Parts: sequence; C-alpha cells; structure tokens
Amino acid sequence: MTTLALSAPRFTGFAQLRQDAPLFTTLGIAMALSLLPTLAALQLDDRLFLGESIWVKPIKFQIALTIYLLTLAFYARWLPLAMRQARLFRIYCGIVAAAIIAEVLWISGAAALGTASHFNDSSPVWAALYGFMGGAAVTLTSAALVSGIAIWRNRASGPPDALRLAVALGLVLTFVLTVPVAYYMSANTGHFVGTPADWDRGLPLMGWSRSVGDLRVAHFLATHALHGIPLAGLIAVLILPVQAARRAVLLASAGYAALVTATFVQALAGQPFL
Amino acid sequence: MPTDSLFQSANTLALIGWIVLALSPLSPRWSDRISGLAIPLVLSAGYTALILAFWSRAPGGFDSLPNVMQLFTFPEIALAGWVHYLAFDLLIGAWIARMARAEGIHHLLVLPLLALTFLFGPAGYLAFTLLRASRNLRAPLMTEPRT
Repeated sequence: MTTLALSAPRFTGFAQLRQDAPLFTTLGIAMALSLLPTLAALQLDDRLFLGESIWVKPIKFQIALTIYLLTLAFYARWLPLAMRQARLFRIYCGIVAAAIIAEVLWISGAAALGTASHFNDSSPVWAALYGFMGGAAVTLTSAALVSGIAIWRNRASGPPDALRLAVALGLVLTFVLTVPVAYYMSANTGHFVGTPADWDRGLPLMGWSRSVGDLRVAHFLATHALHGIPLAGLIAVLILPVQAARRAVLLASAGYAALVTATFVQALAGQPFL
Repeated sequence: MPTDSLFQSANTLALIGWIVLALSPLSPRWSDRISGLAIPLVLSAGYTALILAFWSRAPGGFDSLPNVMQLFTFPEIALAGWVHYLAFDLLIGAWIARMARAEGIHHLLVLPLLALTFLFGPAGYLAFTLLRASRNLRAPLMTEPRT
C-alpha cells in the first residue's frame, strides 16, 4: 500500500469545503454575510439588553455558527465518501441546517422585537419557542457527534492515526461536554450564578461576568473542544512519535474535559472566571 | 439617532449612482456594477438595519392607510421608507439603462427617462415601457436584455 505521508491538513480554500460539505459551506458563508445587516443594526440601535446592545447576542451566535459550520465542512474531508453521498446523511445535514437557521432567526428576531430569546417565559409562545429551540440546539450540536464517530471509524480515508483520534475526540467531546452544560444553564433562570455587581461590564469581547459565576464560560470552552483538541493533536503529531502522540492526545482530551468541568464548577460556586 | 446625517449620506450615495447612470455610455460594465449593484446593496443594508433596529418600536402598520401614515410619523421608519425609494428607484434606473443599451435606444432619449425615474420612480418606469412599446409592441414582454 501507499505510505501515508504525515502532512498537516492544508487549507485549500472554499472550493474543497464546498466539494466535501456543500450545504454547510454555503450556509457558513451565508451566515458570515448575514453579519452585514446585524452589524449595521448594532451601529443604529440604542436599545440595551442586560447592559449591552441588543444586537451583541445575535452577532455572537452568527460568528459562532459560521465558525462551527466551516469547521464541520473542513473536517468533512475525512468522512467516508460513501457516507457523504448517502441520501440519509444529506437529509440529516438538511435537518441540522434547518435547526441552525431556526436558531439564528429566533435569536435575531427576538432582538429586533426588543425581547429575550433564551429564558423568555413572558408569553406562552415565547416559552414554547424557547423549549423548541433547545431541541434545535441539541440537533445542531449532534452534527459534531456524528462527524466525530464517523471520522474515528474511517481508517481508510481519515487523517493519520493520532490526528484522527484528536479530531474524533474533539468532535465527540464537543457534543458530550456542551449538552449537559447547556442543559443545566437552560434549566435555570439565566447564565449568571449570583447577581453581577454594578461595576461589572463583563470581560471584553466575551462579556463573561467578572463579579459572579457565569455558566457561559464552560459552554464556550465545551463548544470549542472541536478546535482545541485537534489543535493539540496536530502539534503532537508534528513533534512526537506515533505512540507518544496518541498518549498526548488522550492526555490533552482529558485535560480539556477537566478544564470544562473546572470552569463549570467554578461558575456553580458563584466565582467569576477571571 | 443621527437620522439627519444618515438621510444626507443616503441621498448623496443615491445621487452618485444616478450621475454614474447618466454617464453610463463611458463604461457600461462599471456603471452597472456601481449603480445596479454596489450602491443599491449598501442602501439595502442600511434599510435592513433600520428595520431591524426600529420596526418593533414604531406605531402603525401596513394594513390601512391611516396606519401607514402613522408608521411614517416615526423618524427612523420614515428614513427607512425613503432609503427604500432610493435603493429601488436606482435599481430600476440601472435596469432602464441596461435595457436601453441592449435595444439600441439612444442615450439622449434615456437621460430624461432616468431623470423622471430619479424624481418619480414609477412614472419613469411607465414612460420607458411606453417608449419601448411604441418602438415595438412586443418589446415590453422581454424583461431582460437579449443575450
């Protein structure tokens, strides 16, 4: 057989992403372009929600979902070709895409109307929407789980050994860590544990509380397992022999899960992240 | 909200678009890109942002004339309505320039039609369509330039 040259995955532009995951690539680009009107609205709108512009949250979700979609499209090159072409898988991708679109429409629609999206129980309709969107959130996150398992099982056309482990674990852990953290957060009345102090404007960019516990820290880290662990795997593969690289990936994954758990426990104890 | 300065910027932008259309024989391709795409896109983004930011706060609605009049008492929504005119009138102006070019209608004839569309949008569109029909009764059935 051919010798598998150990090469770092190379970014070959949108053409390859589109070929490997046409729907997620198109939706990812559309999601990025949809920032144009919301960024403009951010400039024009003086309404505040929890002390920051009402448009900050939709914009955060648009950015996060753009990154998520393009990341899934990037990893799609390591899914078995037969799976990518299977009708059932394409239907599944369509359902995930619909869940992502619904999520963004719900969050930016609530912003436009000047009301809350998450934790909104002001009317039966908003409460029902919030419940429904929980299902949509799990659905869209399940794409990471499905990709992770498929890439792990794909010895034929997946990435080299330790990197395959890292990509698969990163994707699977994204689902496994995000869902319980997000579920716990949604079952409460808000993402803060405690009442933020008056001076607390939150961490720059992320907006995490600096005076009380903020469950969004663990949620953020959990959703980015699919970046952090593969990145650790890539470094391990480049500098370590195969067996050591595998161990390093397992260690990094355990460390990452511990980090998410620690930030979760920290927030539950009412302690700010920084 | 700086509605006045946004109004001025939008007007200036639209005016540039119309001047580019008036000079379109110099560079049909670039006048199309500027007046038929770029400027309407910028105006549309501004319109969308105004609607996202202010629609839910405005009084009135679309369902009756008094409600529409109420809607336009809200400055940001009146501004959005104005930007809507500017964006879509310019798009129609660019379409008129494109169609006229394709059908060999002399630009000196197009200029007053563009002016009419600039001032009173639908009247300009009507006049252009009547002109096409008077040259060839079936011409208005063609809604895009022949390739």
